[in-house]
Amino acid sequence: MIPLTIISGYLGSGKTTLINQLLREAKKPIGVLVNDFGELNIDEELINNEDSLTISLNNGCVCCKLNDDLGVSLEQMKELNVEAVVIEASGVAIPIKIANYGLSWPGFHLFGILSLVKGRNLKHLLSDKFVSKTVKAQIIQADRVLLNRVDQEAIEMISALTQDFLIEEEVESYWDLLFKEMNGSNKKEDSEDYPHSNFQSSVLETERLINIERLQNYLNNNISIERAKGWVRDEKGKTWLLQMTKNDCNFSISNYETGTRMVLIHTKDLDITSLEPVYA
Amino acid sequence: MVGVGGSSPLVSTISLNTLFICYSYLYMIKVYKAKSIITMNPSLPRAEAVAVRDGLILETGSLDSMKPWLENNDYEIDDQFKDSIIVPGLIDPHLHPSMAAVLLPTFFITAMEWKFPWGDTPATTSPEEYDKRLKEALSNPTHKDIFITWGHHDLWHGPMSRSRLNKIEQKKPIVVWNRSFHELCMNDGALDYLGITEDDIKGASQIDFDRGRFFELGLGYAIQKLNPYILDPDIFREGLLKLKEVVHFGGQTTIADMAVGLFDFDNELNTQLELYENDNNPFRVELIAHATALINYAGGSNIEAEKLISKLPERNTHRLNFRKRVKLFTDGAFFAQVAQLMEPGYIDGHEGEWLSTPEQFEEVARIYWNQGYAIHVHVTGDLGLELAIDTLEKLQFEKPRFNHGFTLEHFGLSTPEQVYRLSKLGANVSANAYYVHELSDLYANHTVGFERASSMSRIGSCFREGVTTSLHSDFTMAPAQPLMSMWVAVNRINEKGVLMSPEERISPQQGMEAITINAARILGLDHEIGSIRAGKKADFTVLAQDPLEVDPMTIKDIKIEATLFEGKVFHISNR
Repeated sequence: MIPLTIISGYLGSGKTTLINQLLREAKKPIGVLVNDFGELNIDEELINNEDSLTISLNNGCVCCKLNDDLGVSLEQMKELNVEAVVIEASGVAIPIKIANYGLSWPGFHLFGILSLVKGRNLKHLLSDKFVSKTVKAQIIQADRVLLNRVDQEAIEMISALTQDFLIEEEVESYWDLLFKEMNGSNKKEDSEDYPHSNFQSSVLETERLINIERLQNYLNNNISIERAKGWVRDEKGKTWLLQMTKNDCNFSISNYETGTRMVLIHTKDLDITSLEPVYA
Repeated sequence: MVGVGGSSPLVSTISLNTLFICYSYLYMIKVYKAKSIITMNPSLPRAEAVAVRDGLILETGSLDSMKPWLENNDYEIDDQFKDSIIVPGLIDPHLHPSMAAVLLPTFFITAMEWKFPWGDTPATTSPEEYDKRLKEALSNPTHKDIFITWGHHDLWHGPMSRSRLNKIEQKKPIVVWNRSFHELCMNDGALDYLGITEDDIKGASQIDFDRGRFFELGLGYAIQKLNPYILDPDIFREGLLKLKEVVHFGGQTTIADMAVGLFDFDNELNTQLELYENDNNPFRVELIAHATALINYAGGSNIEAEKLISKLPERNTHRLNFRKRVKLFTDGAFFAQVAQLMEPGYIDGHEGEWLSTPEQFEEVARIYWNQGYAIHVHVTGDLGLELAIDTLEKLQFEKPRFNHGFTLEHFGLSTPEQVYRLSKLGANVSANAYYVHELSDLYANHTVGFERASSMSRIGSCFREGVTTSLHSDFTMAPAQPLMSMWVAVNRINEKGVLMSPEERISPQQGMEAITINAARILGLDHEIGSIRAGKKADFTVLAQDPLEVDPMTIKDIKIEATLFEGKVFHISNR
């Protein structure tokens, strides 16, 4: 399994600088995938010297994922015997989407998401008409946030969004940060399917019939469950569409005939056997 | 010329006569009579005959009024359309031949009805019907190794799963490709055939939490395995040939490929040249390059991409032409619900996507603006639109331009204030009206609520503000049938039969403008096509009924009998 990390962060947050630094440090060949339109700024000399490889990705049109450069490139990386792969996400990428991709690609082991934030730009970005939500998502979804050009105000703003941040000056080795520390201290750890935070997901698929009232009660009172969605079949044979968030649990009658099939997003301490009483 | 001697006047006269006869034979005037001709020329809106020579219109009017042309020239009156209505050749100013080519060879099972030259795809609106239709399709023999079907949509057809497919057919390889293109599902047979193992699929069959939908995260992996089958050159050619039929069937004589370079620039261009540049092709293709997709192709920078794009007209042929136009994008796709929205956003709180940072968008737009291009911008959500308008405002301040052709493409969600601003800035709108038909109910009940959903594709406001507005299909996002687009824009009836924002309807006259003269303006071709008047190309579409006179609810059902491309008749066969 090839270790894979994702470097996310808005335009000008220092992603390319970090990757150049990483290439300078690295003693083993690294694959770098740059998932961005525009010009490639990686120092090519570094790449040649270190036997590493950089591939620039063209995302293609979002209406269509046929132009699947990322997948093709990951396959190429496998052939090339690199020791680790870094994906430089585009400035507007929602990192969790790329992480999901990395998770589901055979042969790779996702270590986590590192989001870069230039402290000086943070206040402006978090109030920007167009990208405030994107930047916030990049911070919240990261396993680690790396701050540079910080001041007290930036630290306060970051602290309000995440506790998992460190400041550039604290980093001794980017290789260690990305491919040692991030793996060990990663929030997701053994959760294979949800790359950020403490949540994981389970799919509950059963032919057993369910009592809707008891299920609603269960979902409303179980603090381990963050979200749930899917189809539920009750003891009268009716199918219900379930949509549950932290604030709201909603069942609506569905014409679709199916057994129970729902997805639960929950913290690690959920004991699936605690669901037993909801069955009819 | 004045003669200088009398030595051989007779010889001269004979040869001149011979030339004259040849000329008359080759360039004989043809007069088409019709029940009525809708010219879309405001100074002479209706006619009963049109005279054509060498692909050009000489005169519209009556046989009587065009006498001066006929008296001294050979002519022929063609009355094969005497019971029909002639309108200007219909124009679809935004579709994607290469996406269509990938999709058309697949089997359509869709929630909406799709009409094709080779038969109709009926509306399939429940999970039970979906499964039934899939079973029927599989019972027919096919030459293809893998059965690929397109059009599945969770909300109508229920969630798709490997186990559901296996119940229908386990062995024969089946791939179900979602309507949004962002999901697909395979049965055991397809996994076997493509060599995808249990272990792979375990990682790949997860759920997209962001959207709260069943979603194949391993999509890219699956697509990569499928690429040899869907991008196979023979299948791609088959798809483009099918598109040719589709375009003709829709009555179109001009289409625009609004993102050349989507997959593979050279292949897209060369295959279209090979298949469409011939006398049997009943339409022309305007080619607009996808600026960002060409960056790598051009050498790595926007400046190099611009240089390359500026030279593309050197490759022009008679029917396929690049002009000084370029395609940019702001936000994500409307069907996939990743458009960028202003407050209050999506009901479920999920985020839209940007395709580049706003700074990068502005930088690229500035390069092309300053070089004098007409810039076409894909905008789907109101925040995506806001970015395009803000950018245009900046560029207008820096380097003012008039009649600049900056066009907002798709135009999913917008606000009345944005329509006012874009009008003042001189922008055009090329809207996908079909959103209202297919998506407004879904968007009203699940995505953004009724108020915003009912006014998607805010076309009535555009006409009221004097914005040059056209309609497009973005095929395969909507059927490549301008009369269907016109029908939606005129009636705004969604797939549930509900009238959505009657205030944003347009009149049939405006609807006709949107698929003829306005579409021509948006492509910068209004001096050559888009209306029937002396001097323009003889591109006509022949209809069985008058689209300005019929009950507006029947506009989409008007039979298209033939098209004329530069004077040549192409019949549409009864099927």
